[in-house]
Amino acid sequence: MESIGVLMASPVNPYLEQELDKRFNLFRLWEYPSKPEFLKSHSQSIRAVVGGVSAGADAELIQALPKLEIVASFSVGLDKIDLPKCKEKGIKVTNTPDVLTEDVADLAIGLILATLRRICECDRYVRKGLWKKGDFQLTTKFSGKTVGIIGLGRIGMAIAKRAEAFRCPVSYYTRSEKSDCKYKYYPSVVELASNCQILVVACPLTGETRHIINREVIDALGPKGFLINIARGPHVDEPELVSALIEGRLGGAGLDVFENEPYVPEELFKLDNVVLLPHVGSGTIETRQAMADLVIGNLEAHFLNKPRLTPVI
Amino acid sequence: MESIGVLMACPMNPYLEQELDKRFNLFRFWEYPSKPEFLKSHSQSIRAVVGNTFAGADAELIEALPKLEIVASFSVGLDKIDLPKCKEKGIRVTNTPDVLTEDVADLAIGLILATLRRICECDRYVRKGLWKKGDFQLTTKFSGKTVGIIGLGRIGMAIAKRAEAFRCPISYYSRSEKSDCKYKYYPSVVELASNCQILIVACPLTEETHHIINREVINALGPKGFLINIGRGPHVDEPELVSALIEGRLGGAGLDVFENEPHVPEELFKLDNVVLLPHVGSATIETRQAMADLVIGNLEAHFLKKPLLTPVFSGKSVGIVGLGRIGSAIAKRADAFGCPISYHSRSEKPNTGYKFCPSILDLASNCQILVVSCALTAETEKIIDRKVIDALGPNGILINIGRGRHVDEPELVSALLEGRLGGAGLDVFENEPEVPEQLLELKNVVLQSHVGSDTVETCKDMADLVLANLEAHFLKRPLLTPVLGDI
Repeated sequence: MESIGVLMASPVNPYLEQELDKRFNLFRLWEYPSKPEFLKSHSQSIRAVVGGVSAGADAELIQALPKLEIVASFSVGLDKIDLPKCKEKGIKVTNTPDVLTEDVADLAIGLILATLRRICECDRYVRKGLWKKGDFQLTTKFSGKTVGIIGLGRIGMAIAKRAEAFRCPVSYYTRSEKSDCKYKYYPSVVELASNCQILVVACPLTGETRHIINREVIDALGPKGFLINIARGPHVDEPELVSALIEGRLGGAGLDVFENEPYVPEELFKLDNVVLLPHVGSGTIETRQAMADLVIGNLEAHFLNKPRLTPVI
Repeated sequence: MESIGVLMACPMNPYLEQELDKRFNLFRFWEYPSKPEFLKSHSQSIRAVVGNTFAGADAELIEALPKLEIVASFSVGLDKIDLPKCKEKGIRVTNTPDVLTEDVADLAIGLILATLRRICECDRYVRKGLWKKGDFQLTTKFSGKTVGIIGLGRIGMAIAKRAEAFRCPISYYSRSEKSDCKYKYYPSVVELASNCQILIVACPLTEETHHIINREVINALGPKGFLINIGRGPHVDEPELVSALIEGRLGGAGLDVFENEPHVPEELFKLDNVVLLPHVGSATIETRQAMADLVIGNLEAHFLKKPLLTPVFSGKSVGIVGLGRIGSAIAKRADAFGCPISYHSRSEKPNTGYKFCPSILDLASNCQILVVSCALTAETEKIIDRKVIDALGPNGILINIGRGRHVDEPELVSALLEGRLGGAGLDVFENEPEVPEQLLELKNVVLQSHVGSDTVETCKDMADLVLANLEAHFLKRPLLTPVLGDI
């Protein structure tokens, strides 16, 4: 398989790169100063693209690779892949579901606790020597607060299960109500936001869910409400979120994703009621290795004409 | 109650202070430049102390407050209160269990996630603008890691329940294995540490648990292991912990408590594998209010002579008349049930650990169960009279395993019939085998036919003693159990 050309869109993981290099003829897109030049020279060789959260396979790239057979995403989110175009051209797509579910759910809970109990601020307080001058202020309790989840897929369910252990009543919004679900359903995000204290975004990013967290939702969540985003930056109208936080119209936010990563609105840096993380939802050694193994496994299966491990289309 | 003197050991909560001020005559210990001066002027007024994790009631303070009746702690931990001293002086103690359990358990999980997933460091990374230069390093997964808990009380169990939702296998160490417990027990902390990846301290601080996390335990936890402390700073040998972290012998630590709060070893400040919190385990608005309400509630209950809401000595108070062999044996058993013990005898006995009452009326007024176990003499005949029965009261219980004539029986009978006494357990009567018939109908009395020592084993032992004493006498040997004669 060493002659098969695989294009890696961005440097997502050293182990993955190394393993792809061993098995295939790996092209690292970021090493070429001119993307059009690269495509001119090598487009006929590329049979697979490995994408990530920042770069995948948009319509332009797909068009430029006539021999493309498969896009294997190093993520569970597919928002950087033009799925209709792939379908149209019969290009297969795989992602990395399940192996990262727990890490992302863990981080959601970690963000909730860090935001409500001000853990990062407390740690800063101690390191600055301020404890000697007085006790830290009181914060707000997590256990028992109502948690609303947008999207009740694998990650949403894992978050719900964890929140239940903290005695949190769980409610949710999805495109349609799920049967056999013990959590309370709300038919709109605004209603969900009006009826919960901690709102967690855990749905895929699509045309419909872009800016699903807008001013109306933020106002419904209110000055004692908290927003937790472990999904995609564009789920949230970021300027609206920033002004709501600065003006105190929202109680606080725990954010792992932003509209223009790695850029984070600097107005947030002076706020103590936000926790800002650099998109680390699945960023553990264990999970990234499992994700990489899934990407390799899917590619090998495809080129050996075996069933792919985690196909999307 | 505004004249009742209450001493607050240190500033702990403005709402609590305000509420205490409204109801009592509040003394703020920290406002007096000279504690000895303060005690000289006011010690006779103080009937209650309110303490917390920083300052409670040590032996010195207790000795200095002769009118002290109750210590109400604004915490669940009791390590700052001299409990044996309180028991000895009959001082009641309350704390704030349950209301803070969830907050402390939440923080334990928060510390685990913050430490393993480096949440604080990530937040710093973003705020310093470093994300533009490159992604944050990979961290380590929490879900599925083995969690070991030292102490499986309310807080330990709440932590376990939460960790289970993260698919973590749970194991624990406590002084003895718990029956009906689905978690794996290890009989020593070192074994627990060797067999888990995240070790959590959640037991009370006592002499035995001081430095329960020592070098051996830290080494057993190892370079991939994590220590989480939401117990007390002195649970951990702090210098050992610091060097283990600096040398990489321990994977990381999440700490809410330290040996010398508010001082935190500054060597920890440059480490990125630790999370350091300023003892905020129960520090939410909701919980501190609930804790304050409990403190106030307990104090009010005490001074209104109602049952305490959350007493530390949870057994009923037992008063024993006569602390001889039988009285002491009763005391030891009742003590094992957590009952505070007080006693009356002709003179105080040294070093009993029990509260001495110089008058039997005092004893009866201050206990819920009064046990007669003294010798019957001219002085002790009818020692349980109307006054004593009334002092014991409609919620009090009289137990007589002494002699029938210790009790003014007609008074006892009418008190029981009229509901002036809560109940009685009687093995002896004034005119055995006659038992007052009115007692036979009552449901709140237990009547025995003088069977105190009537077991097969004891009767045989007693008979053997009688025979041996007779033989010894007639064989001109020393008597075994003389009362008069060879003493």
